[in-house]
Amino acid sequence: MTFFGLHFQDIVFYTLATILLIAGLRVITTRNPVYAALYLVLAFFTAAGIWLLLEAEFLAIALVLVYVGAVMVLFLFVVMMLDINLDKLREGFWKALPIALPVGGLMAVEMVMIVGARNFGADVVPAPAAHPADYSNTAELGRVLYTDYLLPFELASVVLLVAIVAAIALTLRDRKDSKSMDPAKQVLVKKADRLRIVKMEAEVEKNDVVDTSAQADDKGAK
Amino acid sequence: MVGLSHYLILGSLLFAISVVGIFLNRKNVIILLMAIELMLLAVNLNFIAFSHYLNDIAGQVFVFFILTVAAAESAIGLAILVVLFRNLRTINVDDLDSLKG
Amino acid sequence: MENIRYDLITALPEIILLGMAMLVLITDLFLKQSNRIAIYGLSQLGLLLAAYFTVTTHVPSVGYAFTGAFVDDAMSDVLKLMIYVGTSLIFVYTRQYIQLRNMFRGEFYALVLFSVVGMMIMVSGQSMLTLYVGLELLSLSLYALVALDRDNHFATEAAMKYFVLGALASGMLLYGMSMIYGMTGSLNISDINHVLMNGSGIHAVLVLGLVFIVAGLAFKLGAVPFQMWVPDVYEGSPTAVTMLISSVPKLAAFAFVIRLLAQSLQTMAIDWQQMLLIMAVLSIVLGNVTAIAQTNLKRMLAYSTISHVGFVLLGLMSASGNGYISALFYIASYVVMTLAGFGIILLLSRKGFEAQNLSDLKGLNQRSPWVAFLMLIVMFSMAGIPPTLGFYAKFAVLQAALQAGFLWVVVFAVLMAVIGAFYYLRVIKLMYFDEPEDNSPITAPFDMRVILSMNALALLAIGIMPQGLMTICFYAISRSLS
Repeated sequence: MTFFGLHFQDIVFYTLATILLIAGLRVITTRNPVYAALYLVLAFFTAAGIWLLLEAEFLAIALVLVYVGAVMVLFLFVVMMLDINLDKLREGFWKALPIALPVGGLMAVEMVMIVGARNFGADVVPAPAAHPADYSNTAELGRVLYTDYLLPFELASVVLLVAIVAAIALTLRDRKDSKSMDPAKQVLVKKADRLRIVKMEAEVEKNDVVDTSAQADDKGAK
Repeated sequence: MVGLSHYLILGSLLFAISVVGIFLNRKNVIILLMAIELMLLAVNLNFIAFSHYLNDIAGQVFVFFILTVAAAESAIGLAILVVLFRNLRTINVDDLDSLKG
Repeated sequence: MENIRYDLITALPEIILLGMAMLVLITDLFLKQSNRIAIYGLSQLGLLLAAYFTVTTHVPSVGYAFTGAFVDDAMSDVLKLMIYVGTSLIFVYTRQYIQLRNMFRGEFYALVLFSVVGMMIMVSGQSMLTLYVGLELLSLSLYALVALDRDNHFATEAAMKYFVLGALASGMLLYGMSMIYGMTGSLNISDINHVLMNGSGIHAVLVLGLVFIVAGLAFKLGAVPFQMWVPDVYEGSPTAVTMLISSVPKLAAFAFVIRLLAQSLQTMAIDWQQMLLIMAVLSIVLGNVTAIAQTNLKRMLAYSTISHVGFVLLGLMSASGNGYISALFYIASYVVMTLAGFGIILLLSRKGFEAQNLSDLKGLNQRSPWVAFLMLIVMFSMAGIPPTLGFYAKFAVLQAALQAGFLWVVVFAVLMAVIGAFYYLRVIKLMYFDEPEDNSPITAPFDMRVILSMNALALLAIGIMPQGLMTICFYAISRSLS
């Protein structure tokens, strides 16, 4: 199926690639970090679309679920939790622009020249044969993940554990103004901890009656 | 016809954008973290494109691990950011000048 | 089934340390503050057990496990043993420091142990994927450790800088790896080497990948022009963590460079030699010249590290067996020197006081002649004055570079080392010829004093008889690299 000499896949690729690049540019140029995070979500979505074109179905879905669903939400949480001064953030942006643009542009041109059509064009690297209809990308990935890549798989779990430990150790703190109670301590309380019985002489009407009661009050207060 | 070079060029452009973003937003730590995510996205695109055209699953496995590690990385990065913010009451790197470097 | 058995036995030290790290995390929950010292004991025990199993499972041949993702060779075993010893010393030196600063928690020890596991994986990684995951395990633990003293805003600021630049470096490294993968179709170090040996791959693309890999490695090593994070992170981190960052991970980084450049990209040696040469020269110049202007002791040591990294790169740059051996010798000596140097800084710190300015060393000789003498040895060794270890290390590296035909570079490096000697000697002048500004007594646990003394004296002893360490380095490299 072709439209104006373009395959349907090509049209999808060019559309997604354009959106991806625009979203990427907006991430780094936008004023408000919340918008930047949302543009990054858009970039991840379109990237997932491009990965589907490359028949990496599992990763495309994982990108949407894990990245858009979890990591970006974490970003948004933090952005909204912190009280950010928007004006200050932009300082230095225009000052860095005259250096950053030529450096970035030069880098892009050089990289594009190397990875361009001369080395990796469609005629140099032919498209691989399509997989049969019953081919499952997820099953294939899962098969090697638990056999050939067992070691990195286990290590990845350790990396996640480190992230958990670090995040908790860094940010969890007891609130000093918290009024919460510890039930275990409440249950363990004995009478002696709270109540002290003070021996007092019976009140007799005498001249020094004021003094003794003052002494007893002192004792009780301690 | 879209070939491997198209995907690689897209990846390199995305990589260049993220490098420019790191240059431009040196004062804004949150955007810095997002630029780094963008950079990893470019790398992932490269790996998946190569994996597809080489007909070799290893590239996709690598992406699987990059995604995992990057998730852990952003969790730690944001935790440090929160702690820093508590200490400085700002995330403007301009104020991060107690260390001259 | 037999395979899995072999895999697990090969990775036994890693498994033990991981188990110990988790045990520390859990035990910590059930301990009162007064019994916390138990986690210190557990961590040391873990290192000891790992060392025991590394030695007993050692064979002089090269063995591959986990379908080629993990390698057990002489170099990995030697480097792992060095890492255990270094980490154990760090535990001894930092115990009092972190106790006084409210950092004596299970997380500190667990994160250090996790970072050690990361280093071991970097040392033993035989596929780009394993190497990457090991590197990230190390880096993530270090970022968290820097920020662990969370009310110290210098430390959190340093952690943020370290994190952003570290993540950037990982991104570059990964981009380079993706190019190498695309050209060779494999992630495995030996397979990549085989493919490249057959002459396949487009040279320009490979060089593009190589540039990004070298840039990422330079970031992690702290070589010029990617050194900007080093002084800030050294200064801002709690000294205990600075000590960790500046010492043992360099051993792992050395192995990482060897695996990636010398083993997998061996055929591209001509290309990476030039890159390493430029970085080595720049690092030696910038490290030595900038260090002179520093008044902060930790910053001075940071610039000193940059120049030492330059010397290591000089050894690697020779791309010969002798070059690698001398680089390994240099990095091992550097770790011993750094541990002793930071150990003394920790010794001089006390509750509420950080010894981090050069002026804090004034008149140290009057306060404690013995500590001043130890510092003297460390400074002599860092400056490369005979008969200390540092002299022999520099000598070996320069000799290897000379053999590889880089006469002018060698002359230049010697000149820079002489300039560098100035700021080390300034420290000695401060200690011996100035009046002390504060006269508070130096207090430290007995074990720390003894081990620190031995550590510093080792610089002298190995410097006089370097053959032992040299033989080990020779054994490690010659048995592992064909």
